[in-house]
Amino acid sequence: MCDVIYATNLRIGYSSESILAEIKNLQIKKGEIVSIIGESGIGKTTFLKNIAHLLKPISGTLTILNSDNAPERGEVGYIPQKLGLIKHETVFFNVLEGAICNESILRSISGLHEEKVIDKVEEAIELMNLSNKIDEPIKRLSGGQQRRVAIARTIAQGPKLILADEFLSELDDKTVENVWKAMMNYADSNAITLVIVEHNIERAKLANRCFKLEKNDKLEYSVLTEVKI
Amino acid sequence: MNIQRKKYPIFLAFILITTYLVFVDLVDGDWSSLENSLDNLSTFFYESLWPPNWKVIEAQSYPVCERNWDFLCSPAYIGITETLKIAFVATGLGFIIGLPLATLASRNLYSDSIAIPFRLLLSAMRTLPSIIWAIFFVILVGLGPISGVLAMTFYTIGYLGKLQYEAIEGLSNDPLDAAKAMGLKNSEIIQRVVIPETANNLISQLFFMFEYNVRHGSVIGIVGAGGIGYYISTYLKFLQYDKVIALLIILFIVVVIIDLISIKARSYFIDNATFKSPSLFENFFRVK
Repeated sequence: MCDVIYATNLRIGYSSESILAEIKNLQIKKGEIVSIIGESGIGKTTFLKNIAHLLKPISGTLTILNSDNAPERGEVGYIPQKLGLIKHETVFFNVLEGAICNESILRSISGLHEEKVIDKVEEAIELMNLSNKIDEPIKRLSGGQQRRVAIARTIAQGPKLILADEFLSELDDKTVENVWKAMMNYADSNAITLVIVEHNIERAKLANRCFKLEKNDKLEYSVLTEVKI
Repeated sequence: MNIQRKKYPIFLAFILITTYLVFVDLVDGDWSSLENSLDNLSTFFYESLWPPNWKVIEAQSYPVCERNWDFLCSPAYIGITETLKIAFVATGLGFIIGLPLATLASRNLYSDSIAIPFRLLLSAMRTLPSIIWAIFFVILVGLGPISGVLAMTFYTIGYLGKLQYEAIEGLSNDPLDAAKAMGLKNSEIIQRVVIPETANNLISQLFFMFEYNVRHGSVIGIVGAGGIGYYISTYLKFLQYDKVIALLIILFIVVVIIDLISIKARSYFIDNATFKSPSLFENFFRVK
């Protein structure tokens, strides 16, 4: 039981009347980079939200980091499709949101942050080559820079599992390559498990393993199967 | 398909007809009271209201004015400054107390078992108009501005609280999902996501509420809760309608000025304002 994600007979959706997808058996180990592909509205984001404990499964077993309960503070990093950054605030403020997972709630709320937390913020910003933008509001950054801020926020958090939902969409090829490399290097060097939802098959092939959610003729919901890349 | 296309005219006709029928039912078909209304209005306007009596901007005979400028001892100045002070304090207190209640009433932050009781509380505070709160607090703490402040604060909490939780619930899910997935507690999410993301709306609502409270200052003063309403109520009792209209004109001018300042100030904080000023922070706080 050393899987980072373990699912059996898992059914996901928004209610038992409208099941979106079924995952018969899935095991993802530490350090693996996994992509999930499928058409729009097939249940990819819903599956990611189930892994992030933002939604509850309808039935079946879903174990994240060897626990059926919600992961510990900071263990799971989630990058939503629209990144979830605070647009009016600065790069520093946004990255700090991730780093506060490494300190007590009291310190985080009082604003008396530990030195190691501030160091983590600065390191993550530097790693993403954003040091010259540290005091810039997010709304003034380009799409690629905003995505790097979202990665920096997750890096500062220091998670064991990163979930990224189509976070490379709307970017040009060169920016995709840069953002992807930054994410891969970090995940590889820290043995972090990475699950990426992607609708672009070429990008999905960059992962170690690839899964596809697709509709079955016999069933009303989609089914997750591993595909060869 | 045709009915679908004509739904708006049908809906409008339905509203017009039902409004007319309910009105007829309300007056029992007797429209005679409207017959002489225009004549009555004209008589009342020229004999009692017009011209305004501008003695309201002269110093009161008692207490003796010890200031350099008579206007500073006039009922208009004393009344309007007291109304502005009551509105300012009540809006500030209402905002500070209302915000935590609004976060607890937000269904995207707390479960229904917590949010619904707080919604009911805010709704109950809003149900009573500020004048009823004013009567309640005049009985409780006596005549004067304190009862005015308390009445307006309670109403502001209910009204502003609703605007605040609606702004919070209108937040995009993505920043909340990212924060929840990280394992941040609700108090941290409120501090680091909810308040920064809704700040512009919250500040804009604050200006709106201040302007609303100044306008309501004339109403709550009527029951003895201080401000310009106290003078309006006194003149009404002595049938000095020309002084009442003078005070209402002054109140109107003050409200228009606050409205203009408010529109300008709110434009700093709303992204899609009718006209956009450069950021307040760029103007005043940013070192270029």
